[in-house]
Amino acid sequence: MALRHTQLYEYHRLHGKLVDFSGFEMPVWFEGVIPEHNAVRNAVGIFDVSHMGRVLVVGGDAEAFLDSLVTNDVSKLAPLEALYTVACNERGGIKDDFTVYRLAEERFLIVPNAGNREKDYAWLSSHSRGFSVELKDVSDDVAMVAVQGPRAEETLQKITSEPLSEIKRFKCREVALRGHTALVARTGYTGEDGFEIYLWDTPLSNPVKALDLLEKILSAGKEFGIKPCGLGARDSLRLEAGLSLYGNDIDEETNPFGARLGFVVKLKKKSFIGKEALVRINKDGPNWRLVGMRIVDRGIPRHGYEIWKEGKQIGHVTSGGFSPTLDVGIALGYVASEYAELGTEVEIKIRQRLAKGIIVKSHPFYDETQYGYKREKR
Amino acid sequence: MSEEYDIPEGLYYTEDHEWLKVLEDGTVLVGVTDYAQKSLHEVVYVEMPNVGDKVKQKEVLGSVESVKAVSDLYSPVSGVVEEVNEELADSPELINSDSYGKGWMVKITPRDLDEELENLLSAEQYREHLESLKE
Repeated sequence: MALRHTQLYEYHRLHGKLVDFSGFEMPVWFEGVIPEHNAVRNAVGIFDVSHMGRVLVVGGDAEAFLDSLVTNDVSKLAPLEALYTVACNERGGIKDDFTVYRLAEERFLIVPNAGNREKDYAWLSSHSRGFSVELKDVSDDVAMVAVQGPRAEETLQKITSEPLSEIKRFKCREVALRGHTALVARTGYTGEDGFEIYLWDTPLSNPVKALDLLEKILSAGKEFGIKPCGLGARDSLRLEAGLSLYGNDIDEETNPFGARLGFVVKLKKKSFIGKEALVRINKDGPNWRLVGMRIVDRGIPRHGYEIWKEGKQIGHVTSGGFSPTLDVGIALGYVASEYAELGTEVEIKIRQRLAKGIIVKSHPFYDETQYGYKREKR
Repeated sequence: MSEEYDIPEGLYYTEDHEWLKVLEDGTVLVGVTDYAQKSLHEVVYVEMPNVGDKVKQKEVLGSVESVKAVSDLYSPVSGVVEEVNEELADSPELINSDSYGKGWMVKITPRDLDEELENLLSAEQYREHLESLKE
């Protein structure tokens, strides 16, 4: 099957090292994972995230429709506010995780994972009967970039007169960026402050606007050391921030309570798909819990590695890698609930050897006074 | 994509992208080639054998991990591990910056060097091998 491309493919082809990600030919890096990662943690970086889905949900019942599907409370959103949520199956397993933006009273935008675009759209459609709602998959007509890092606001401010400091976390608004009208949202997937930008009316067949916006942001951020960033840095940044990756850390066989996403499950909501199962899981407690681990020995944990303790396997790594910020191997993984306590010593089977690890605070892994959106302003 | 790889003359190579250099005292240095370091990209961790370990040609000697991948290091010859490059513990990136020099990994006292060199590639043969991988 031919790989799919985003509106920014022409840039990636010329400047990036390309890989197949969920069927999309995307850059894994431009210069390298580590320099790109560090640019975002310390200054600013820009990512093409147009491979993700964009679905508009419009109509008088849009709010009720979404609230019948997702675990978080969409009715709490005022226009131009966003929230993170999961959607579950009847067993409480996670169908997908995504951000929901309320663009207007009866108009929402949801942003599924790249690998779930078709699945989610089909699922949304199949449940829309009886609701006054219209679904529109605009993924291929809207380009999407993420500008992330402590200098993200300064960078974008150079190409707009709109005061960006007024857009608080998980808020959004329509902004003119040097002639391009875009939805600018203070959201992201790196643990840093930053924005996700939705550039309307930019079809794959005519991606000029997207390429132009990318160039404008790159030159605006030049004085801060902006770097174009690939999926490699996107993955290492989100791992350090302790954010789950769908398909690795969460899937239909895992539930939000085990995945420490209980904060997006509103059991007081009237009814939504999976509620009965989730009420039960919440009452009994999940059997498996997602934890973060740091390697004490040397070595780098990776997806699929076994987690051991006292001569038996207690779990497995779902995401792992080298943390450029902490200069050590870190991982997310599921362990049987009785082993999930912070400070528990574990062993991770790295190829033939058991490497010592410890369960640590991992949401995020780094010191929040120094890194991430909560850091003390310098 | 026409990427150029550095393949110094006078070294021996394996199809798995290790290089071997015969030193004057009869020991050999082993490392990974420019092609290997470019494919792995940012090396962040190196796993090495212990000094004194007996190794066999084509058996796993250690591993090289980059941000995105892990790759085994196979011994190009049989013998005894004489020394490992301790500097790589703190500076694994030397494999990227100087794969044939400061990025050397293991020094081995070979057992059947003359015989086993027959199984290795010359610089020219290794270049041809890389060409064949492109196809």
